[in-house]
Amino acid sequence: MSFVEFHRVSKTFGKTVAVEELNFAVEQGEFFSLLGPSGCGKTTTLRMLAGFLTPTTGRIKVHGRDITDLPPEARGIGIVFQNYAIFPHMNVYDNIAFGLIERGEKKAEIRRKVGEALEQVGLAGYESRFERELSGGQKQRVALARVLVVEPEILLLDEPLSALDKKMREEMKYWIKDIQKSVGISTIYVTHDQSEALTMSDRIAVMNAGRMLQIGTPVEIYENPVSRFIAEFIGDSNLLAGRILSMDGTACQIDLGGNAVVPSRIPSNAKVAVGDSIGLLLRPEVLRLTPSDEGETPYLSGEVIDEIYQGSLRRYRVRAGIHEVTAEIPNRPELARLEPGDKVDLYWNSESGAVVP
Amino acid sequence: MTTNRTGFPVRHYSSYRRQMKWLLVSPLLVFFLIFFVIPVGLLFASSFNPQIIGQVGFTSELTLDNYTRFFSRSNYMAAAGRSVLLAGVVSLITLIIAYPMAFVIAKTEHPGRNTFLLIIVLAAMQLDMVIRLYGMMVILGDNGLINQALRLVGLIQAETSVRLMYNFGGVVAGLVQFALPFMILTLVGVIRGIDPSLEEAARSLGAKRWRAFVRVILPASMPGILAGSLLVFALSISSYIVPALMGGFRVGVLPIHIFQQVAESARFQFGASIAFILFLLSAGAVLVYLHVGSRRSGGLA
Ligand SMILES: Nc1ncnc2c1ncn2[C@@H]1O[C@H](COP(=O)(O)OP(=O)(O)O)[C@@H](O)[C@H]1O
Ligand SMILES: [Mg+2]
Repeated sequence: MSFVEFHRVSKTFGKTVAVEELNFAVEQGEFFSLLGPSGCGKTTTLRMLAGFLTPTTGRIKVHGRDITDLPPEARGIGIVFQNYAIFPHMNVYDNIAFGLIERGEKKAEIRRKVGEALEQVGLAGYESRFERELSGGQKQRVALARVLVVEPEILLLDEPLSALDKKMREEMKYWIKDIQKSVGISTIYVTHDQSEALTMSDRIAVMNAGRMLQIGTPVEIYENPVSRFIAEFIGDSNLLAGRILSMDGTACQIDLGGNAVVPSRIPSNAKVAVGDSIGLLLRPEVLRLTPSDEGETPYLSGEVIDEIYQGSLRRYRVRAGIHEVTAEIPNRPELARLEPGDKVDLYWNSESGAVVP
Repeated sequence: MTTNRTGFPVRHYSSYRRQMKWLLVSPLLVFFLIFFVIPVGLLFASSFNPQIIGQVGFTSELTLDNYTRFFSRSNYMAAAGRSVLLAGVVSLITLIIAYPMAFVIAKTEHPGRNTFLLIIVLAAMQLDMVIRLYGMMVILGDNGLINQALRLVGLIQAETSVRLMYNFGGVVAGLVQFALPFMILTLVGVIRGIDPSLEEAARSLGAKRWRAFVRVILPASMPGILAGSLLVFALSISSYIVPALMGGFRVGVLPIHIFQQVAESARFQFGASIAFILFLLSAGAVLVYLHVGSRRSGGLA
């Protein structure tokens, strides 16, 4: 029995199907992300768990107990909203004390807990500030303190970083993850930003158009995506159209057209057979580029279209037969600098390519 | 000369903009001057002239006699008190009736139903005040529907009636129905502007529905409650037609006294002083509002 379980949960608004047939489970203490493009049903999923929406069909369980019909206040689930929802007529202290007062705790106890919570989020001394006197990052800390102080069993975060600027976002990413770890609270994190999901999560569920497409660790999602959508949504990708020529366990040969036959790996979760048309996923960072005519037979050869300088690395677009490939090369002096029009050979470790059905 | 960060002069541009702004509001300023500042200023000034029956214009002879007269006569002081009490009671009752209605309208998401509810509220404002008040008389009058019904079921004897109007209560009823749409519209705007996630945050922090209402929604509606009450207070304390028709001149509030001084006795100077005191009472309400508004949370409003 898992900690949080969704059993065939669907939600429709009139004719709009927001989410369909959700089946997933979150373990105790896990950092679980719902990742997908805007409008794919992430918020709807979260709101059903929080109790603000009732599923059209299906059941939701926590600790094996069916909570589908419980009101939000009886669920013991804390939520941090995208806009933080700080009570504007209360100062920071009263905001954080809100849930403790609702639980009927004693004054002295509330004072102690609010103090500790402020300490934990690094806002000691901000007790008497109001919402409009706080920066985005500080509001976020208040919102998190307000939730954590009542010690919920589950923490829900709906795109908590999207209202912050880039620098703040990077900082808060690690900060939230640290707090989550130190408290050990089961967390469901909603985001449309794949880099957030990859850095923070124990597991990620990728969603699109109301459905869950794949659930797995960041490594699994990034390296063994089960569909083209996921391969392209997560990280940068080259997806080369090809056909499976032969298979041997997890290894295979792929015909990329134009006499190019290359080896690849078949992820265990990919259901494919010889003769299938597939995509060969090559992340830009796994490719090696060398000027042509240096001996070994390359997997692909082509011509540099252009170079984009990005400081720590250089991105080359290369035309190789019918394919266009992007390669990221670390910006190191010993690696030859290429010019548009240069003939190049492409290599990669056959383990670092993946077949995508 | 001022320069911006790139070192280019910016004065021309900004002074041009400033001129444009004045140009845009100047019709309003002229209107305000001709139809408000000048008449009200003259009224205020003439309240310091000695009382001469039939005299309208402002003269240079100054005196405080009119104000001395007002403050030394208990019936005028009582009228001032009655006016404030009336406006206060009307504001409170209107608020209590309007809030639930406004809440329902604000929370109705279905666009058709929402428009329908708003039309009902606005429909009440489409008819002239006097017509609406005659409508109320048909119900509340000595031979009105309520009294007829009471006689019919034998709760009161034939030829007698319960006084439902021509008294303080009747004026309150008239003013409440007059003020209700103003209060509802003010509240709907504010309640709609309250972020729904505030209530959800409260709920998931353990507050039951009504606790979330009392601790979050109601305080967040406070700017609307204050603004609506202020509006209704000002409308009620200055209303002449409602006390005249619903009170039958028996509820002596300040506007009734002003009318009697000016229209019946041609005592313009004394009437002006009463009008000015009425204005001060209204302005006092605004001050109380601003004070309460800024004290709550240091500036919610
Ligand atoms: N209250 C609602 N009424 C109607 N449609 C809704 C409502 N909430 C969400 N939807 C629809 O459901 C779909 C999923 O929305 P949402 O869960 O907010 O997506 P996400 O959070 O992933 O951006 C969208 O198509 C959205 O338009
Ligand atoms: Mg969303």
